[in-house]
Amino acid sequence: MKLLEVQNNQLFNIDAIHFLGKDEFRNTVAVLMQNGNRMIALTPIDKSDPQKIIAVLSDSSSSMIGVVGGDFSKGKLEFESWANDFPQTHYFECELSENYGYVPVNHPWLRPVRKQNVILGNKPYQFFKLEGEEIHEVAVGPIHAGVIEPGHFRFQCHGELVYNLEINLGYQHRGVEKLFLQSSPNQQIILSESIAGDTTIGHTFAHCNAIECLSHTQLSLRAEVVRTIASEIERIAMHLSGLGGIANDIGFALPASSYGRLRTLAINSLASICGSRSGRGLFIYGGVRFDLNDEIINTVVNNLKIVQNDVRQVNEYLFSSVGALSRLEETGIVKKDLAQNVGLVGLAARSSGLEEDARIHFPYSAYRYNPISMITLSTGDVFARARLRALEIDEALRFIFDQIENLPQGEIKSDIGNVTANSGAISIIEGWRGEIAHIVFTDEKRNLLNYKIKDPSFNNWYGLSLALRETAISDFPLCNKSFDLSYAGHDL
Amino acid sequence: MNDAIKIRILQGDQIIHDVRNASLPELFRGLPTIEDKACSDDCNKCAEVCPTNAIKLNPVRIDLGLCVFCPLCEETCPEKIIHFTNNYHTAVDRTEKLIVTKETKSISPEKSSEKIRKYFGKSLKLRQISAGGCNGCELELNALSNVSFDMGRYGIEFVASPRHADGIVITGPITQNMSKAIDICYDAVPNPKIIILFGACAISGGIFQNTGEIQRKFLEENKIDLYIPGCPPHPLTFINGLLDWLDKV
Repeated sequence: MKLLEVQNNQLFNIDAIHFLGKDEFRNTVAVLMQNGNRMIALTPIDKSDPQKIIAVLSDSSSSMIGVVGGDFSKGKLEFESWANDFPQTHYFECELSENYGYVPVNHPWLRPVRKQNVILGNKPYQFFKLEGEEIHEVAVGPIHAGVIEPGHFRFQCHGELVYNLEINLGYQHRGVEKLFLQSSPNQQIILSESIAGDTTIGHTFAHCNAIECLSHTQLSLRAEVVRTIASEIERIAMHLSGLGGIANDIGFALPASSYGRLRTLAINSLASICGSRSGRGLFIYGGVRFDLNDEIINTVVNNLKIVQNDVRQVNEYLFSSVGALSRLEETGIVKKDLAQNVGLVGLAARSSGLEEDARIHFPYSAYRYNPISMITLSTGDVFARARLRALEIDEALRFIFDQIENLPQGEIKSDIGNVTANSGAISIIEGWRGEIAHIVFTDEKRNLLNYKIKDPSFNNWYGLSLALRETAISDFPLCNKSFDLSYAGHDL
Repeated sequence: MNDAIKIRILQGDQIIHDVRNASLPELFRGLPTIEDKACSDDCNKCAEVCPTNAIKLNPVRIDLGLCVFCPLCEETCPEKIIHFTNNYHTAVDRTEKLIVTKETKSISPEKSSEKIRKYFGKSLKLRQISAGGCNGCELELNALSNVSFDMGRYGIEFVASPRHADGIVITGPITQNMSKAIDICYDAVPNPKIIILFGACAISGGIFQNTGEIQRKFLEENKIDLYIPGCPPHPLTFINGLLDWLDKV
């Protein structure tokens, strides 16, 4: 098969990509997906020349990433859609179509991804409609009843029961990918911190890995360990925030406020490391800006010990309450097969029993030498997504204490050179939501040709839609919180 | 029941009693100071590294509306005249006050008008609108209701409907796709109403100032009452700004 196989954070020359004719391209990608590969991106390598595209597919079993090129310069920008056989590609095809005018022929549901009032074919996009005597429609958003990001949701219901939920996003679109191409390196780091402000460390981690890979920069072990510690603190903080939100949505005030209190300890630990509660300013190219001295280590360890002790008791309280369990269990189920078919990643995938964790399958930075355990649950309901958070907090705490105890000595910054010309790099990391991918290409003059970002929310929003099917509409806030997806990360 | 009491005892007393003088970690980057020292000839390094063009030269001035509080200028300055303090009292009521110069020692908003204080002094309900906010600012605004900050004790709360609100808090650079929603939401808020801009993106566009995807007409058409600089601003900056502004000291 003609494809380029690379590892996570492995530099490759653009010329090493085989650009196939469109039929061969389509078939190669289909065969790869048939073999269990998952799509990560469908994008041109040069944003200004969309006729040459690549499909990036990951194979968790071999830890390899496949890059298949397709040359559409002869003939129309058209290909036979994969989505009928492999629903996971549905949204990637929509994105390619919206951004570059490709037509995925026989696509089951071509819809806008980020743009509003788009014309598809010749007519404006119409929301999915369900007809019937007692069917009614509920539309909410973009502004919701809370301090959260904007998005539009349309429910087609029969009484309380939701038959279909259509999620329409794009309100947060700031043009991040385009902005990357016109920004200086200093700006790019700030920009990656702001892709999704709740995953500041995750996205900056992926960005720095990509740029360091392009510039052959070797990090010190200490810098890598500090980065992974910060990344796990972010996971703990956001999982606590998620658990608090779930408790709040079922009207269980005591755990809700307790989780909120514990999250404060976690983010204050980040603030003691780098001055920002969300971890801004910590990452620089070639390492980290702030070192861990004894005083900071003490603060972090003390804070996290309290979290470790208290969270167990709060978890026990929440998960032993019959009232809470009756709300969480068998609500918003996504079964394993479905999760695999639509290509869920991260937390949501692991709750449904899928083994997807970039820290294990595509190890990077300090996870290469210091493994972390992957936890999966099987029920795929709100309970599983809540419980998995609790278990992952435990494991992250163990990992952090372990790392701090064995903190390697050395510098925290390495010198960084120029990025390599005419090259590409694929950087995958596991944010707290799931797989974050940054894919970068440079031209002969070392300028960026394309900067493609994939937030885990891009995969998982459709999972939320499916979770809502045959579920009471009143459970929507609970289901939504159990996925806790990013609007900004999706809209870019 | 016993478990509930146990959890409650475990929680202890978390509230920050003195929000005016609470101390933040050394490394927290709040109000910058600029030392009264001459720059070396033609040095423009701070302005050059600034990712959001927040620094103007001759003399050095930092626009906190644009600043994302990364420490690049502090690190780069050869004379070390720029220094970020951990002073979080940075909310102001006019854009001119956002410009930090060598003379700036502290900044704070002017007291609001008597009418505003009469209407909102005891109870202020706010509707938050995220218009391209990355969820960094939103998380900090949510934190205001948690057990540590407990902004509700001052009668200041976030509400679900603009009809119940006395004003709006905007986060994010205001994307084109949100510009219409923001107009509709603001219209639905009864008079008199206030507008608060939270974070660098809302105040100036921040790191997104040069993307073509934002539409900031709303801000030109309406009077802004309070600016809360930061990326994201600390919750204490928001509380203190409002307490100063409403004269609830």
